[in-house]
Amino acid sequence: MSIQEALFPRGKVAGVFPTLTTRGDEAYLEFVEDARNVLMHAQQAPIGTYSRQLIKDAGISDTPDQKNTQAAIDLLMQDPTLKIYYRVKRSLQESFWFGLGKSLDQRRDAIIAAFDEADHSGPGTVEYDKNWQQSAPEYASREIHIQPGGYMNNELAGPLYDYGLKVFLGGAADHDRLAKGVSMATAIPDDGKLDRILDLGVSAGATTIALKERHPAAEVWGIDISAPMVRYAHVRAMEAGAEIHLRQMTAEELDFPDNHFDAVLALLLFHELPVPVAKEVIAEVFRVLRPGGKFTVLDFPGDRSRGVYSMFFAEMDAADNGEPYLPGFVRSNVEDLLVAAGFELEHYDPKAALTRGRVVVKPAA
Amino acid sequence: MTKLSDEELAYTNDLPGAERGNPSYFENEVIDHLLGIVLELGAQFWVVRDRLALLEEHLAAKGTVSLEDLDQGKPSDELQAKLAAERQAMIQQVYGRLYSRYGGDKAAATDAFMS
Repeated sequence: MSIQEALFPRGKVAGVFPTLTTRGDEAYLEFVEDARNVLMHAQQAPIGTYSRQLIKDAGISDTPDQKNTQAAIDLLMQDPTLKIYYRVKRSLQESFWFGLGKSLDQRRDAIIAAFDEADHSGPGTVEYDKNWQQSAPEYASREIHIQPGGYMNNELAGPLYDYGLKVFLGGAADHDRLAKGVSMATAIPDDGKLDRILDLGVSAGATTIALKERHPAAEVWGIDISAPMVRYAHVRAMEAGAEIHLRQMTAEELDFPDNHFDAVLALLLFHELPVPVAKEVIAEVFRVLRPGGKFTVLDFPGDRSRGVYSMFFAEMDAADNGEPYLPGFVRSNVEDLLVAAGFELEHYDPKAALTRGRVVVKPAA
Repeated sequence: MTKLSDEELAYTNDLPGAERGNPSYFENEVIDHLLGIVLELGAQFWVVRDRLALLEEHLAAKGTVSLEDLDQGKPSDELQAKLAAERQAMIQQVYGRLYSRYGGDKAAATDAFMS
């Protein structure tokens, strides 16, 4: 069975995503996606106003330390409306994984056979450890985003994550709009030399593909800790006709020479790492980036720019969305870790941490 | 390969709702189950509503329809747009009231996650 028949038997959903097995499966996910938009995304501003007032009325200080954040959790989780909000959020999260798993599992063998075929096809290349299910670091075995099997223990992790992201973001990732925006935000060296780019934690590969499309003359590499992810990302790249090179490896042990890359991107990677691992990753990026090269980190702002409600939201999201390392990341203020490793901070606006990111430069030797 | 100590990972087990499975947000877990049930019923209703609309579109256009049409086809772009508007209005009408305490029932839908 061809890749088309296995993954895209009825074309592509929103331009890029795998077709689900029946129209009914897609209708189910359309409901969940819209429910998230109406009952989650649209509520963020009004529920924030409401929650901040409750915190203020209770006399809790806005300093986002652990004590005040815990006081906010104890207070807000007694409020009936907020209990509803977090229950609905969790239920919708479980619903879309249920719907996706049920649909894609019907084609599991065909999809895996298509991955096997794509491993040896181009454009681009993919390399991974054939014993990948035994090779995962312990910290990565969590079910991030409560995705069944996580990234490491489900051969269909790639298509599950890809379509799951579509639903999770309420359509913002459709037609790879988000990835294209990220490729525009990825900083390039001031001298204009851009021979090699590295994308860390590629997941479904959308940003890696967008980077190649934006910089066609550059050699573009992408790595991910998960073999199922890089295998699916390779299929995605083949479909896009993008010659990118994907390898399964951890970002804290990069198998590349010193001073090898001109630009490195980490999109929403660091908040999925324990802080000790994040420090190792930063040291590795410093090693493989050439002097004058730039490292763009698109991720959540640190606690220095947050009030106590914002920290509460991060703690709750860590739990409800299965992101156990998020609070530690937020409290680390990753720009400090980058500077401590030797980088020069070129740009950081906490209000645009997700869209423009932290940009750092490796200084000349 | 990086190995973290149990102590370094311990805090991740203390987060509210970190339990995999079906964490309870209410003192009475029946309320948690009921909210999950009404959301799932809404999704299942919508699957039937979408299939009926697709069935009607086929019948109106050709006077006949097959199971293959319903399982493997999809509504026309025009009908999909109409269904999307209907779906969003239904979600707002049925579930928006859950947030009436702070005016969330009037909040406009958005997909601006990263803005």
